[in-house]
Amino acid sequence: MDAFLSAIGYERWILHVLLALPLAAMPLILAFPVRFARWIALAVALTETVLGLGLWWAFDPANPGLQFVTDVPWLGAFGIGYRVGIDGISVMMVLLSVVMMPLVVWGSWRGIDTKQRGFYALLLALKTGMLGVFVSLDLFLFYVFWELLLIPMYFLVGLWGSGHRLYAATTCVVDTLVGWRMMLVAVLWMVQGVGDATGTYSFSYMHLLEHADVMSPWASWLFVAFALAFAVKVPIFPFHTWLPDAHTEAPTAGSVDLAVILLKMGTYGFLRFAIPFFPGFALSETTGTIMAILAVTGIIYAALVAMVQPDLKRLVAYSSVSHLGFVVLGIWGSTVESVQGAIMVMVSHGLSTGALFFMIGFLYERRHTRKIADYGGLARVAPLLATAFVITAFSSIGLPGLNGFIGEFLVLLGAFGRYPWLVVAATTVVVFSAAYLLWATQRVFFNRFTNPLNEGIGDLTRREVAVLGPLIAAMLWIGLYPGPILRRTESAARQYVEMIQPHLPPAREAPVRVAGVAP
Amino acid sequence: MMGIDPGTPGGALVALLPEVLLTAWALVVLLFVAWRHGSAHDSRLAGALSMAGYVLALLATGWLAWQGARAEGLPQMIALDGFRYASDALVLAIGLGVAILSVRWLERQGILAPEYYVLLMLATVGMMLLAGAADMITLFLGLEVMSIAVYVLAGYDRTRRASAEAALKYFLIGAFASGFLLYGIALTYGATGQFNFALIGAQLAAGEASVMARAGMGLLLVGFAFKVAAVPFHAWAPDVYEGAPTPVTAFMASGVKAAAFLALARLLAEAFPSFVELWRPVLWWLAIATMLIGNLVALAQQSMKRMLAYSAVAHAGYLLLALWSHSDAGTAAVLVYLLAYSITTVAAFGILASIERAGARTVLLADLEGLFSVRPFASLGMAVCMLSLLGFPGTFGFIGKWYLIAAPLAEGEVILPVVAMIASGISIGYYLPVVLAMTLKPTRTRQAHQTIRFPGPAKLAVAICVAAILVLGFWPRTVLDFATQEAVQLRRVAIPILTR
Repeated sequence: MDAFLSAIGYERWILHVLLALPLAAMPLILAFPVRFARWIALAVALTETVLGLGLWWAFDPANPGLQFVTDVPWLGAFGIGYRVGIDGISVMMVLLSVVMMPLVVWGSWRGIDTKQRGFYALLLALKTGMLGVFVSLDLFLFYVFWELLLIPMYFLVGLWGSGHRLYAATTCVVDTLVGWRMMLVAVLWMVQGVGDATGTYSFSYMHLLEHADVMSPWASWLFVAFALAFAVKVPIFPFHTWLPDAHTEAPTAGSVDLAVILLKMGTYGFLRFAIPFFPGFALSETTGTIMAILAVTGIIYAALVAMVQPDLKRLVAYSSVSHLGFVVLGIWGSTVESVQGAIMVMVSHGLSTGALFFMIGFLYERRHTRKIADYGGLARVAPLLATAFVITAFSSIGLPGLNGFIGEFLVLLGAFGRYPWLVVAATTVVVFSAAYLLWATQRVFFNRFTNPLNEGIGDLTRREVAVLGPLIAAMLWIGLYPGPILRRTESAARQYVEMIQPHLPPAREAPVRVAGVAP
Repeated sequence: MMGIDPGTPGGALVALLPEVLLTAWALVVLLFVAWRHGSAHDSRLAGALSMAGYVLALLATGWLAWQGARAEGLPQMIALDGFRYASDALVLAIGLGVAILSVRWLERQGILAPEYYVLLMLATVGMMLLAGAADMITLFLGLEVMSIAVYVLAGYDRTRRASAEAALKYFLIGAFASGFLLYGIALTYGATGQFNFALIGAQLAAGEASVMARAGMGLLLVGFAFKVAAVPFHAWAPDVYEGAPTPVTAFMASGVKAAAFLALARLLAEAFPSFVELWRPVLWWLAIATMLIGNLVALAQQSMKRMLAYSAVAHAGYLLLALWSHSDAGTAAVLVYLLAYSITTVAAFGILASIERAGARTVLLADLEGLFSVRPFASLGMAVCMLSLLGFPGTFGFIGKWYLIAAPLAEGEVILPVVAMIASGISIGYYLPVVLAMTLKPTRTRQAHQTIRFPGPAKLAVAICVAAILVLGFWPRTVLDFATQEAVQLRRVAIPILTR
């Protein structure tokens, strides 16, 4: 495989093709009659998946630095360039995005019956934006891609959503945009400051990273601006209020994209930009403790709130907040284990929450309700769906043998040395998450079959099996054999930890070591 | 480089060539319409003539700029530098755009009084004098010529009560503003004995800041704040913008605002540079209040014109950031942002004007629903305008915002850019619903949008504006370089006099 990929010059063109293909297909969708829209979108998405999966082999796990780097001047006079590349942190996100792409299209196959051309065109635009965010190595480009995401997101929620969709769409974009524009100020300030000190005004990530220490007198302000932008997107505990609404009202494709990819952009931003630029402030005793407390508060609070939600989608939305708290805890745990764990949680939360949203979407297509109380005893009429739901719920809870366990375990293990009591508190969430998900599963699929309207619900169709199948296979695979993924993220995580090491306050040793992960 | 001494009659004629040409042309058109008055054909002819006048004046401005005309001799009444040529070109282009938008619109609305174009041209002359003034007298002259013509234009749709109301409100508030401004000029003169900006600047830099000079500057600021509709002096703007005929609203929102900002930029840079510590806090608070209140109130608007009126208020707040910076980068940002904002405003109002029907004239947000399926190009144009006003990457509005916040950042100011970005983040809450209503909502009735008339000239003007927004959004180099070079000249005027 390696030889084949290098023979076709894979690493020279792959990132550009991944970025350009969805955008190039947008006019095609608009030009062809409506009935072709979803087929074009599916064809593009499958092409992206086939092409993108090559990254799994072409990516060199031993190289901790950035790979596949391209640097072409764009607005050269302002130090702006088309700079892209990936490393062990972003490669997983890119892979996750390309794998989800056809599933999202396929999952919307029946649910979207109005304005299909617009829907699929926006879905493709969203894809370019998401991939762009993960591969940009130029802060201007990063910002542009990030803002580019807003428009499709707004329309997807605002038009194909349900209920209070306009309210949800507006709060979602306003909250996000305010945070992002803070970041724009911080970026311009940094470029100005670094430029004044070094004589080179450039938005290049490498350049800014190398000279970020000249901004250290203002590190606190700059970090707060960056952190605000990312914290809203993650979302970290007090900034999470937009998420349940947006998740609940969005169409299935929107919820899945939001959960699987968009939320990760926040945590990715912390790992890639906010902490490496200002490690002195970001990892100081105070900031670290605040962030860890917020993370653990989010983990427990969101789990408790999820327990009482009458709406299935809202329940899963709150569970997202809870899971993302683990990622933040892992990032601030600042050990190789915890950072790898954070990346792992990002991947496995994508798989399991994505699958949950798909299944809720399938139920909604059949019954047009998401109320838990409207269901009951579905296992009798839809045994396949019930099986898939139970597996996914276990994976989301973190049952050993499924993917959810690996990441959360690594996070807890890695962060224990630094925040022992917070980690102990976070561990209790396993009980709560089991409570909310299993209880919901029981009320929807088991219990007594009371509502005669559910009689004609029918089991999963072949299309739906095709959507869920890859996700469940991936859950089992990662849960049983996480080695290949951990190997690919390890060197990047190690390099990250070595980079921030001098800024870390001392911590105790982790209680256990994991072979193949820890040094 | 061509040296001109405006102290001599010949020199003055060359220095004022664009203004003189446009005034003379306006008078010719006035004579023409005195005979040819009444039919739609005449009105159209007068419109075409006025466009020719604008082109002539633009050519004259271009010639002056190309020759590199610079002042020689004593300080003068009118500035001769790149900044003035850039200002003149901007104001003339706005006037030309508005004239093109007006041609068929006036016929459709049954307003057949071709003096409209004469007033439009005279208002433009006033703007050019205002923006190019190097002397308090010229400043006031320009302001009054512009204002009086615009008062009449605002009430031009005589049969409609809203238009008359707009004219009266604008007149009363405008007269107040002129009073403040005049008093400010008088006090400044009393303190320094000078009318010329550069000489005032030299006097103030040499002596201590007397109470009279400070009060004069304060009153001047209040007068300008009225004209640019900065909070808390903005209350007139929504009613006037909504009531005035739509092309006139476009003219007020872009031209009047641009001229006032350009004049204020020159005034602060040349006459009051030594008072920078005094006026900076004033602009700081004005900017914060204007940005936040303008954007928050715009969220609640249903009428498109009112929404754009509050958005115009908000944009005045952003522009104050550039003035606050008091640097070459800030002056360049004023030019760049005004260009971006004016193009976008003219295009947005142009599209809005085509949607209006005779009689029921306030277009609501709900009236735009489903526009895309009937008029795809008009709604795409509107979408580009909204994104540009929002400052979305890929549009010229983004480049403008970027310049605006980079200027105060370079001065070490962080709070202003942060508030500006929060405010513009809020603005997505009223710009995007427009795009959403047009593109993705169904039309209310089968007959909706059938009455839309997009005459050829207006279509062309809007298309050029929209293309410019996109092209300059991706390749802004030329404009940015030009703005940076021309803006740098602004502050140089005072220096030779100071060192003398």
